Amino acid sequence: MKKLLALVLTGVLGVSVLTACGSSSSAPSAAAETASTEAAAASTETASASGSALDKDTLIIGTNAAFPPFEYAGDDGTPAGFDIDLINAIGEKLGKKVEVKDMEFDSLVASIGNKIDIAIAGMTVTEERQKMVDFSDPYYEAVQNVIVVNGSEIASADDLKNKKIGVQLGTTGDFIASDIEGSEVSQYNKAVDAVNDLLNGRVDCVIIDANPAQEFVSQHAEELTALEGTQFGFETENYAIAMPKGDAALVEAVNQALKELKEDGTFDKLVAENITGE
Amino acid sequence: MTIGEKFTSAFIAENRWQLYLKGLGITIEIAFFAAILGLILGTVLALMKLSTHRNGKPGVMHYIATAYVDIIRGTPSVLQLLIMWFIVMKSSNNGVLVASLSFGLNSAAYVSEIVRAGILAVDKGQMEAGRSLGLTKGMTMRYIVLPQAMKNIIPPMGNEFITLLKETAIVGYVSLNDLTRAANLIQSRTYEAFMPLIGAAVIYFVVIKALTLVLGVVERRLRRSDNR
Repeated sequence: MKKLLALVLTGVLGVSVLTACGSSSSAPSAAAETASTEAAAASTETASASGSALDKDTLIIGTNAAFPPFEYAGDDGTPAGFDIDLINAIGEKLGKKVEVKDMEFDSLVASIGNKIDIAIAGMTVTEERQKMVDFSDPYYEAVQNVIVVNGSEIASADDLKNKKIGVQLGTTGDFIASDIEGSEVSQYNKAVDAVNDLLNGRVDCVIIDANPAQEFVSQHAEELTALEGTQFGFETENYAIAMPKGDAALVEAVNQALKELKEDGTFDKLVAENITGE
Repeated sequence: MTIGEKFTSAFIAENRWQLYLKGLGITIEIAFFAAILGLILGTVLALMKLSTHRNGKPGVMHYIATAYVDIIRGTPSVLQLLIMWFIVMKSSNNGVLVASLSFGLNSAAYVSEIVRAGILAVDKGQMEAGRSLGLTKGMTMRYIVLPQAMKNIIPPMGNEFITLLKETAIVGYVSLNDLTRAANLIQSRTYEAFMPLIGAAVIYFVVIKALTLVLGVVERRLRRSDNR
């Protein structure tokens, strides 16, 4: 028994020593830097050699099917929703086949140009993202909503301070919440997990785009309310389609297709079918 | 972006290195408590599994432990974590506690098999000798069999701890910011995968290498009396 105790204590000691070891973050970073030199050299090569995604017959589309009504897992399990219908219509205009891949939202931007050609996922145009990808013309205007439990005191920007806020990792709501003073932000892989934890009382509110917010609230109408972001001073944002940086031909073709779809009424029809529910 | 800029944005800008450190702290915290729980519960389970009636047939304890191990080993740990978080401990706000418990219960099943194998590897004659010297079954187990079993147990147990430490990488599913999630988080801010992911991998490696070295020392000391 003494030996067992000794063993446990050794383990305790071991782990505490490790904690100290881990703090030397300079060692791993130096190694990472050397390793990256080669990788970076390789990636610039592929980027220059690949040309426009328009040269391909099939466009690989990335989305995150956890953002109703823009994209969600359809009845057969494959992504469905407004964005999917829209990108299919665009693909038709361009004469390309479209293959939709469902992935984590936070890895979409980093995947453009290597894993996927285009990302359509209710993605807001931000300066940070524009450094990494090119966006199409905006196709939808939205604002963030704050979901609270009925009877919550949260009603203005000041009320959000020092609160526990649930968000989906890497979304606009995540960025907003992280900037709120004293906020404790829980980042979830899926917005619905954040909403679940709001129902469980683990977070005080959830910040998410207006349309999905209303979708979630409609499923729990007796417990939850979605508050307009304007009363919290959130700015209106624009959703756009993200494409590889520097692929001007693709951006132009997509913009042209988008314009045509708006002109011939297809766009409005899709909005009515998917979003406004008419 | 040049490599220098990528490096800066992934590790230095906005004090992002703190996120990795905090993440590592959470990773180790969860793994540590889970390991302790796993060790204790696992040993109990192993003894339950080896327990017999007076007539030498396995008792009800044996079946309970066997069922537990079967269920835990038969389901993915990420599912166990989600069940623990969203169903069993729905009202708990302490993520580290829920995760430690979930991983501890999971690890116990594997530890119990390691301990059981370690005990069975001790020659039957040891138990017989102890019994014939007048020790009770429990005493023989405690003073003669378990100390010898310990030597067999250490190497696979180290393996289990290492697996456990790495398995905690899934706690991002329940919005805990461990080391892997810290890398995800930074990737979601900089839109650059290479630096945060490789950085986190290197940190895991350093920690596990250190753990391996410690376990090596323990193993060597236990072997000091061996004549081979």
